[in-house]
Amino acid sequence: MSFISKLGVSVIALAVSATAVSAESSNAAFWAEAGKAYQGVTLHGVTESTPPSNYVKDVLAPEFEKLTGIRVDIETTSWDQMYDKAIKDMEAGTGIYDMVYIEQDIIYAYLSRNFLVDTTQLLKDNPALKAPTYDEANFTTFANYFRGENGDLFGIPMEAFIKVYLYRTDLFNDPEVQAAFKEKTGRDLKPATTHAEYTEIAEFFTQWGKDHGGDLWGTTAQAHTGHAASWYEYFESIAPTFGVYNWGIDANNNYAATVANGGQMNSDAAKAAMKYWLHLRDIAPPESVQSTWTEVATTFAAGRAAQGLVYGENAAWIASDESKSRVVGKVGVAMPPMEAGVMADAESGKGYVGYYDGGAFGLPITSKNKEAAMLFLQFIAQDEVQADWALAGSRITNNATYDDPKVQELDAKLNGYFTMLRDQGKLFAGAPPYPFHAQLREATAPIFYQILTGAIDPDKGLDMMAEKSEEELKALGYRK
Amino acid sequence: MKRSNPWLMVLFWVIISFLTLFPIYWLFVISVKPAVDLFSTPDIWLTKVYWQNYIDVLNDRTLRGYMMNSLIISSGNAVLCTTLGFLTCYALSRFNLPGKESIFFWTITNRMAPPAVFLLPMYLLLTQVYRVGDFALADTRIGMILVYCTFNLPFAIWTLRPTLDGIPRELDEAAYVDGASPLRVIVEVVFPLARPGLAVTLILTWVFAWNEYLLAATLTNFNARTLTTGLSEYVTTTGTEWGIMAAISVFTLIPALIVFSLVQRHIVTGLTFGAVKG
Amino acid sequence: MHPNKLGWLLLAPTMLILFLFGVVPFFYVIWVSFHQWNPFAADPSMIFNWASNYRQLVFDAQFMASLGVTLAFVFFAVLSELVIGYLLAQAFMKDFPGKAFFRTIHTLPLIMAPIIVGSIWKLMTTPSIGIIPSLLDSWFGYNLNIGQSAMAAFITTVVMDIWHWTPLVTLSLIAALVSLPADPFEQAQIDGANKRQIFWHITLPMIRPAIIATVFIRLMDAMRTVDEVLMLTGGGPGSATRYVGVHIFKEVFPRTNYGYGSAISVIVLYLTIVVCWLLYVGLIAPRNTKKG
Repeated sequence: MSFISKLGVSVIALAVSATAVSAESSNAAFWAEAGKAYQGVTLHGVTESTPPSNYVKDVLAPEFEKLTGIRVDIETTSWDQMYDKAIKDMEAGTGIYDMVYIEQDIIYAYLSRNFLVDTTQLLKDNPALKAPTYDEANFTTFANYFRGENGDLFGIPMEAFIKVYLYRTDLFNDPEVQAAFKEKTGRDLKPATTHAEYTEIAEFFTQWGKDHGGDLWGTTAQAHTGHAASWYEYFESIAPTFGVYNWGIDANNNYAATVANGGQMNSDAAKAAMKYWLHLRDIAPPESVQSTWTEVATTFAAGRAAQGLVYGENAAWIASDESKSRVVGKVGVAMPPMEAGVMADAESGKGYVGYYDGGAFGLPITSKNKEAAMLFLQFIAQDEVQADWALAGSRITNNATYDDPKVQELDAKLNGYFTMLRDQGKLFAGAPPYPFHAQLREATAPIFYQILTGAIDPDKGLDMMAEKSEEELKALGYRK
Repeated sequence: MKRSNPWLMVLFWVIISFLTLFPIYWLFVISVKPAVDLFSTPDIWLTKVYWQNYIDVLNDRTLRGYMMNSLIISSGNAVLCTTLGFLTCYALSRFNLPGKESIFFWTITNRMAPPAVFLLPMYLLLTQVYRVGDFALADTRIGMILVYCTFNLPFAIWTLRPTLDGIPRELDEAAYVDGASPLRVIVEVVFPLARPGLAVTLILTWVFAWNEYLLAATLTNFNARTLTTGLSEYVTTTGTEWGIMAAISVFTLIPALIVFSLVQRHIVTGLTFGAVKG
Repeated sequence: MHPNKLGWLLLAPTMLILFLFGVVPFFYVIWVSFHQWNPFAADPSMIFNWASNYRQLVFDAQFMASLGVTLAFVFFAVLSELVIGYLLAQAFMKDFPGKAFFRTIHTLPLIMAPIIVGSIWKLMTTPSIGIIPSLLDSWFGYNLNIGQSAMAAFITTVVMDIWHWTPLVTLSLIAALVSLPADPFEQAQIDGANKRQIFWHITLPMIRPAIIATVFIRLMDAMRTVDEVLMLTGGGPGSATRYVGVHIFKEVFPRTNYGYGSAISVIVLYLTIVVCWLLYVGLIAPRNTKKG
C-alpha cells in the first residue's frame, strides 16, 4: 500500500518535472530570441533582502542571464533603505533601477505619482516581448492589489503571505496541560476562535510558565515602543478582528477618522481592541516591548510563547527549519480569533480578518531598459519557476503552485499554512488603498508609542490619534 | 613627585579593559550562537560554539567586495583628509590670512549638519550634477571618498590645529633662513613634529569613514557598497540575522585592528621632548 | 612668492571640496525649507510657502521635546566622556607593563560602526533575554526595561555613547599630552607646586585647545546621533530617546516630509553653530589671536 502510494507520488513528480523540463526547452528558444536585442544590457533592481528576494537574486537572475544573455543585478537592502532608494530614484528621475520592489502597502502611493509602467499595456504595445509562458491569469487574486484603475497590472507579484494564528500543538495536545486547563476554565483546550478564549488561554499559559519555571508565556505581542511594527500589529491585525477596518478611516467620507466625523479610529470597538491587546502585551514575554515582527517570530521559534499572531513569511521556517527553530513539528496554524460578525463581514467583502501581506516587482517609468526588464518580470512570473521559489521563501503568487507536490509536501509540514492561504486568503486583506500610508503612520505613531508606555491613557490616546489623522490628512490635502 | 605602583596601574587597566571588552565579548557570543538561542535567559559563559555564521560569511563573495570597498574608501578618505587638513592647518597657523579664524570656524560647521536631510541634495548632486558625460560620482569609490570629506576634513582640521599651533614657529623660520623651500620646511621640519597629531587624525578619520552608514546606504548601489551597508542586508522583515551580522562585525575588527596597530606607534614615538608625569 | 599667496594655495583644495559637498547641499536644504513639499501629498510638487515651516516649528511640541532630550543626552554623554577620557589619557602617561596592549584594547569600541554598536547594546539590554537586565536582576533585583521606562532607555543611550566614544577623547588628549614641553612642569615642581596647582595652572591651559576641539567634535556628533539610537530603541519608549537626529530621520525617511524636515535641520544646524560659536569665541579665539 504505502509502496504503491509512494510509487504513485514519484510518478507524478517525475511527470511534473518532465513537463517542466520540456516546457523549458521549448521556451528556451523564445528567451534566446527575445534577449538578442538587449545584449550588453544590465538590469538593475532593488528589493528588500528577504528569502524570496534573495532567491531572485541568487537563482532566477543567473538563470535568466543564461537563457537571454541579459545580466540582472539585484541590490538587496533593509526595508526602509529600499523604500528610500526606490523613491529617490523615481522622484528624481535618475533611472538607476529597472525594477523596484513594491510592497502592497505602497503601491497606491506609487500609482498616485505615476511612478510605474503599465505592464499590461507595455505587452500589448510590444507583442514580440510577450513570453508564451506568461499569463496574468496564472496569478492568484493577490495580483489584484497591483492593478490600476483601468484594471491593468502595474506590478508582477513576487510574494504573498497571511498573518496567521500560530499555536504550539505539543502544548495544546499535552494531556496534563489539557486537564489543568479544563479544571481551571471548565472547557476543553483548543485554539481560540474569540478574543475571550484567546485571552483565557494566554493567561493560562503565562501562569503555567510561572508555576512550572519554564520560559513560557501565553502569547506573543509585536509591541515595540519605538518602531512602526507595533502600530501595524494593532491596526492591521488586531483592530480588524474587532470590526475596525482600514485603520478606522472612512475613505468615502472625506477620510474621516474621528467618530464625531464618521470615522472609526477612536470608536468603542477600537478602544476595546486596544485594551485587549495591551493586556496581551502585559502577559507576553518581557522582550515584547522591544519586539518587531522579527523578534516576535524568534520568540515563537524559541518556544517562549504558546500562541501568537505571526507573519506568514516566518511561519514556514518556524515550523520546518531546525537550524533556526526549536518548535519544528510543534506548530499549528489557525484563523485569528475574532469578534462575532467579523467573519460575516469578511465573507461579504465588507471587512477582513487579518493582514494579507506581500509584494511585487514594478517597472519604474524612469527605467532606461523597460523592454528587457519586462522580459525578466515575465520570466519570474512563469508557473515553471514557482515551486522551488515557494520552498525557498514560503511564498505563493500563482494558482498552479498550490498543486505542486513539493509545495504540498511542505504544506503538510506547516500544518496546512498554504491550504489556508489558498482557501481562506480571500478573508484577509492588505493595507488599505491609501497613497499616504507611511505619512499617516508616522504622524500618529508618536502618540501610539506613548499609549504603549502608559504615558497616555488608551482611550484618550486613540482620540488624539484620530484627531491627529484628520489634521495630517488635511495638511496633505486629502481631507477637504 | 609620587610614583604610582605600576602593578596597581595594570590592575586598574585590567578592570577598565573588562568594561571596554564586555560588549565586544558579547558580540562574539552573538556571532557563535544561532538566532533562536539568543531568545532565552542569557548565560554569561559560552557553553557551545556554533560556527555556521562564520562559514556563511566566509563563503559570501559579495561581502569580500564590500570589505574591499570599505578599505579603499576609508583609507583613501583618511589619507586625503589628513593631508589636506595638515596643509590647511599649516596655512592657518603660519600665515596672516585675513579672516582666517572665520574660515577655520566655517570648516567645522560642515560637520554639524544633521545627516538625514542632506542625503537628498547629496543624492541629486552625485547622480545628476557632478557628472562628466556618463560618469557620475554616485556609486563610485572616488565619490564616497569626496563625500566623506564633509565630515572628516573638518575633523582633521580641528584636531590638527592645536598640534600645528603647538610647534614653535621659530623652527620653520630658522629653516627658511637657511634657504629651504616651503615644501621642504613642511615635509622635513613640521611634518616630523606633527606626527602624533597626524597619527591620531589618520586613525580617527579612518574610523569615521569605515563606520559611516547613512551616506553610503543612500549613495551606493552596486559598485561601491561598503561593509556597513552590507550589514543592513541582514536586518529584514523575516528575521534579523543577528549571528551573521555579529560575525561580519567581528571580521570588520580585523582590518581596523591592523590599521590601528600600524599607526598607533606614531602617537607616542613622534615627539622626544617628553611625556608629562602627572 | 608672496607668503599669503602660498597660504591661500594651501587652503584652496579644502575650501573647494567643502564648498562642493558642504555649502552647495546646504543651500539646497535652505531652499527646500521654504517649501511645502511631501512627494506623497495630494499635491506632490514643491509649493513655496515663505517661512511657514519655521513658524510651525516654534509651536511644534514634539520638536521642542526632542530638542530637550537631545540637549540632556549631549550634556551627560559629552561631559562624562571628557572627564573619563581625560583621566584615562593621564593614566596612559605613566609607564606600566603592557601599556601598548591596554591602549589598543581601549580603542576597540571606536572601530565599531554605530549600527553594530546599536545592535549589540539592543541585544544586551532587551528585557528578559539581554545579559544586562538579567545580571542587574540577579545581583540587585533591579528590573531594567528599556522598552518601557523612559529613564532606563535614556541612561542606556548615554552609557552606550560613553562606551563608544570615550576612546576618541582619550586618544585626542593623549596626543595633546605627549606633545607638551616638559620645562614648565619641571619648573613648577622646582617651585614646589602641588598636583592640583599643576593641573589647573599648567596642564589645563596648555591642552585647552585640544580639549575644546575634542569637546566640539563630540558635541556636534552627539547632536547628530542617529544610527545607534535607531537600532537600540527606535527613539522609544514613546519619544524618550527621539533625539533630533532620529526625529529628523523619521520626518524625512518614512514620512517623506522634505520641506518641514529641512526646516528642522536648518534650525538644528543653526543652534549647533551658535552654541559652538559662543564656546569658540569665549574659549579658543582669544588664545589664538594672542599668539598672533
